[in-house]
Amino acid sequence: VTFDDLMHCPPFSLDHPSKRAVLLEELNALTKWHRARCVPYRRLLERIWPAPAESLEDVPYVPVGLFKSQRLSSVPDEEIAVTLTSSGTTGQAVSRVYLDRVTAQRQTLTLGHIMGHLLGPKRIPMILVDTRSLMKDSSQFSARGAGVLGMMNFGRDHFWALDENMQLDLEGLRRFVARHGNSPFLLFGFTYMVWQHLYKQIADSGISSEMNLENGILIHSGGWKKLREEAVDNDEFKRRLRAATGLRRVYSFYGMAEQVGSVFLEGDDGYLYASNFSDVIIRDPVTWKETPTGVPGVVQTISMLPLSYPGHSILTEDLGIVHGIDDSTCGYRGKRFSVLGRVPRAELRGCSDTHAYGSQA
Amino acid sequence: MTVDVAGPIPGRVDLQEALREIRRAANPKPFSPATVNFCAAFSAALQRDAEARLFPELKVLAFHLRRAAVAELQRQFECLDSGDCILVPRGLVFHIPPANVDTIFIYSWVLAALTGNSNIIRLSSRESPQTSILLRIFGETARATRSDELLSTTLFLRYGHDRSVTAAISSETDLRVIWGGDHSVNDIRSVPLPPHAREVTFPDRSAMSAIRATAYLEAHAPERADLASRFYNDTYWFDQAGCSSPRLLVWVGRPEACAAASQSFMAELEAQIELREYRLSTGAFLRKLTFAYDAVANGGISSYNSPSNELCVLSLENLKMFRRDHPGGGLLFECLTGALSDLVEIIERRDQTLTYFGFAREELTAFARSLNGRGLDRMVPIGEALNFHRYWDGYDLLQEMTRRVHISGAPAAADCHPERYLLQQKVT
Repeated sequence: VTFDDLMHCPPFSLDHPSKRAVLLEELNALTKWHRARCVPYRRLLERIWPAPAESLEDVPYVPVGLFKSQRLSSVPDEEIAVTLTSSGTTGQAVSRVYLDRVTAQRQTLTLGHIMGHLLGPKRIPMILVDTRSLMKDSSQFSARGAGVLGMMNFGRDHFWALDENMQLDLEGLRRFVARHGNSPFLLFGFTYMVWQHLYKQIADSGISSEMNLENGILIHSGGWKKLREEAVDNDEFKRRLRAATGLRRVYSFYGMAEQVGSVFLEGDDGYLYASNFSDVIIRDPVTWKETPTGVPGVVQTISMLPLSYPGHSILTEDLGIVHGIDDSTCGYRGKRFSVLGRVPRAELRGCSDTHAYGSQA
Repeated sequence: MTVDVAGPIPGRVDLQEALREIRRAANPKPFSPATVNFCAAFSAALQRDAEARLFPELKVLAFHLRRAAVAELQRQFECLDSGDCILVPRGLVFHIPPANVDTIFIYSWVLAALTGNSNIIRLSSRESPQTSILLRIFGETARATRSDELLSTTLFLRYGHDRSVTAAISSETDLRVIWGGDHSVNDIRSVPLPPHAREVTFPDRSAMSAIRATAYLEAHAPERADLASRFYNDTYWFDQAGCSSPRLLVWVGRPEACAAASQSFMAELEAQIELREYRLSTGAFLRKLTFAYDAVANGGISSYNSPSNELCVLSLENLKMFRRDHPGGGLLFECLTGALSDLVEIIERRDQTLTYFGFAREELTAFARSLNGRGLDRMVPIGEALNFHRYWDGYDLLQEMTRRVHISGAPAAADCHPERYLLQQKVT
C-alpha cells in the first residue's frame, strides 16, 4: 500500500489492525530514509533507538521541542521550498520545519483528501475568520499563515472577516451571507479567533437574529487554553455558536506545524479521528508504554507524509485519551480520541532566576 | 514612593522615610549578644514550628542558625578580627536574593546581621510557603525576644520589577549583594551605587563531581549506598537547578574500573531515587528529554541511558561536549578520564563547586593550583554541595560584610609608660 493507493481510498476507511500494518511498513521505511539523510536524526537512532521497530508502538519518536533547537532536514538546502515556523507555547524558541516540493505537495493532497470528506469535491464559497494582513511574507510562513493558506484551497470567493485590528467586518459578512448563504459555504479560523472575534462580536452586537449561517460548515483548529479559562469546552462552543449564528456543522481538527497535512478531524460525534495517513499513540507519562483505552497520557503523533524532515513520529507536549477503537457511530475507523490540553509547564526552580529582571522596562 | 514591607513587621512604608530611619539607627556591634540570641531563638522556633518542619530546607537553615553554629562563626570572625586590624560593619547592606531558592535571603541576612550591618532585603512579588513561614517566624521571634535593635535595622521589602525602588535603596547602600542569574546581575549592576559602595554578585554557576573509580570499587555495599544517598541530596534537592548541584560526573581511573564503578553507582542512585520517591513532573521530564535529545543530536555523546524519568545519563566521548545550559531534573553528563588534571582544560570561571570522593587533600590542592584561577571556588565531599558556608563563590562573606580598620604602630597599653614610648619612637 503506497501513498498513492491511499489517495484512492476514502480517508477514514482503514480499520485499526490494517492501519497498523500499513503504517508500520511506511514508518520503518521513513525512519531508514531519514537516517540516511539527516545527520542529527541518525545520531539519535544510533544512541537511543538502536533496534528496528517491530510494532508501530516501537517506532522511534522525537520530542516536538527538538524542532526548535536542531535543524532537522533530510534534503539539500537548495531543495527546501518553504520553511514553516511556529512559536509553540514558550513564546521564545521557534520550531522550524523544512519542506521540499514533494513533501509540501503530499501535505496539500492529504489535507484536500481529508477535508473532501466534509466538503465534497467542489470548492465552495469561503469565509476566513482572520485578517488578510496575515499573508504578507510568503517565503517564511507562520503556522497560522500556512494553516489559513492551506485551507484557502478548499474555498472560492474568499471573504476575510476581520480587519487588521481584529474587528469583524459586519457589512461584508452580511453581503457574503446575502449572496452565498442559501447553499453550503465554508468558514475556517483558529478556535480562539472564531470565539473571540466572530462569535463574541456577533453575539455582543445583537445581530444574531439576522445573521443566518445555518448552511455554513465551520472548520477550526488551535488551542483551547483561553476558552477553558472562560469555562467553554467543545460542546459549549458548538452550542453557543449555533444559538448565535445558526451554525450546525462545526468541526475542529488537531494538527501541528511539524505535521501539516495529516490532520486529525472531529467527527459528528465530537471525537477526533486519524485519517489513513496518520495515527496517535497515547503514552503513559511514567512507563512511556501505550496506555490502555480510556487512560489519558502524552500524545505521540505519527504521519506518513514527511519526506524532507524526520517528523514522521513526534512526541508532543499534549495530553490525550483514546476512548475506543473501531467503534465509531459516525462512520470513521480507527482510534476515537480527544486531546485534553497541554502538559502543564514545569515550574522553574534554582538559584539562577532572581526575578526575570530583564523583562522590566 | 511607598513600598510593601513583608517583615519583620508587615505593612507599608514611605521608602525615603524608611531609608532615613534605617540609616539613622546605630549599627549593632559584630556578634552582639542581642543578634546572637535572636539567631538561636529563631533557630529554635524554626525547629518547633509545625509548618516549618514540613520543609527540609528550613530544617537545614535552623541547623545553621543554632547557637553552636553561630558560636563557631563568631570564633572564626574573631580570628579575622585580630592583630593590626579590627573588623567593623560596612553599614547598610542591600540584599537581592533569588526568587526560587527560598532560604537564601535568610542566609544572606544572617551573615550581614551578625557582622553588625543594617539590612534591606528585597523579596520578589512572588510568594512561596517557605518565605511566608520564615517571615512569620522571624517576626514572632523578634517580638518575643524584644529585639528592638534588630527591628530598627532590618527591613524585608516586597516589590516587583521596579527599578526606581532598587535605585532609591541602592543610593543609600554600602554593600549590595546580588544573588541570581547573569541576567539579573547585569541588570541590577547598571543601577548606580554610592562611590564608596561595594557589590558582591552571585551569577550563574555550575558544579561537577569527581569520583576515583578504584576508591569506589573498594567501598563496601553500605558505603556505596551512602555515597549514592549523599549524591542524591546534592543533585535532586532543588531539582538539580541549584548552582551547586552537580551536572557532570567524572570517573577518574582506568577505563574498565571507571565503567564498572559507573554501572554500580548509577544503579545505587536509581535505588535512592526510588527510595526517596522523587518524581519529576511530566512537563519537567519533557523539557529534560528534549535537552537530552538535542545533546545527542549534536554528537559527541557515546551513550544515552535513562532507566527512569528521573535519571538520564549522557556519556561524553569528549569532555568538551559537556553543556552547562542544563534543564536539571536528573540529567547527568558523565565521562571517564585518567586523571583529575584532565579536567583543567574544560573548567571555566563559572564552575563553582567540585564534589569529590576518593581523593586526598594533596591531590585536590595540586588540582586547585594547576587550575590557577581558571575556575572552581570550592571542593567539598559528595553530600555537602548545598551546605552554606562563609566561603562562597570565592568570597569570604564574613570579610565581605565588614571593613578592616588598620591600626598601625601604636604600642600596647601595658607598654605605654613614657620612657618606653620615647624609646620606641627613637628605635622606629
